[in-house]
Amino acid sequence: MTPFLDVFCTQTDRHNVFYPLLRQIMNKDSQMRAAINQKLIEMGERERLKELLRAKLVECGWRDQLKAHCKDVIREKGLEHVTVEDLVTEVTPKGRALVPDSVKKELLQRIRAFLAQHATL
Amino acid sequence: MKMEEVSMSSLDNSKLEGLAQDILSDLVEDACLGLCFEVHRAVKQGYFFLDDTDQESMRDFEIVDQPGLDVFGQVYNQWKNKECVCPNCSRSIAASRFAPHLEKCLGMGRNSSRIANRRIVTGNNTNNKSESDQEDNDDVNDNDWSYGAEKKAKKRKSDKVLLIFFAEILQV
Repeated sequence: MTPFLDVFCTQTDRHNVFYPLLRQIMNKDSQMRAAINQKLIEMGERERLKELLRAKLVECGWRDQLKAHCKDVIREKGLEHVTVEDLVTEVTPKGRALVPDSVKKELLQRIRAFLAQHATL
Repeated sequence: MKMEEVSMSSLDNSKLEGLAQDILSDLVEDACLGLCFEVHRAVKQGYFFLDDTDQESMRDFEIVDQPGLDVFGQVYNQWKNKECVCPNCSRSIAASRFAPHLEKCLGMGRNSSRIANRRIVTGNNTNNKSESDQEDNDDVNDNDWSYGAEKKAKKRKSDKVLLIFFAEILQV
């Protein structure tokens, strides 16, 4: 996989003094993210957060709203011709936008608590 | 890669916040994708639009709440005489008497099988009584067969025992 910096840096940039340093920082950052994600999965926290989010979204009617939107998309595209890609491209942006702030806030608090708890490790 | 290898203490608040936001957006993305896959599967399996009902058909099945009508909107007569047809003798019997009638008619009760048999026989041979019928009658009249007679016999036996007991006491 092409490193993130290699995509955005030109050939001349790569001879820059700061390029190796930037690359090192980026690597460290991606390492950090990977480690946190792994820890989330290992400890089962990701699954718990997922379940909490699902429950909250059902409770606030997000799921029903998106299902209604899906129905519109299916009617528009046709029952036989609709694909997963169509649904994903049409529904995902609306899904992100429709998540209530209260739910976001609650989940962010849980995530922050997890990160704070494991910051010392 | 273990968590211990990468120290998070070096991260400042802005980075932690960014990380939290990323995790949240991942979770929301997962939820959206899950719904999309679920809907797509429902569409292809053909059960996605099953819960759709038009208002016209919903009106037909609304619960009726009016005096004198039942929930289906039919006239309900409280005092209407409900009758049942006996599957054995094809008579029309009031619902309240149907169970006792069946007990006797089908011969499912204690002594009702004998009564039923006797009825069948008397129905078939009104004038000529067969031997079996006579035997049945004998059985009915016979004290050995009757439930009450057994009770009486038992009582008599206990009375005898008591008499003997009192006689012995008196002799002493």
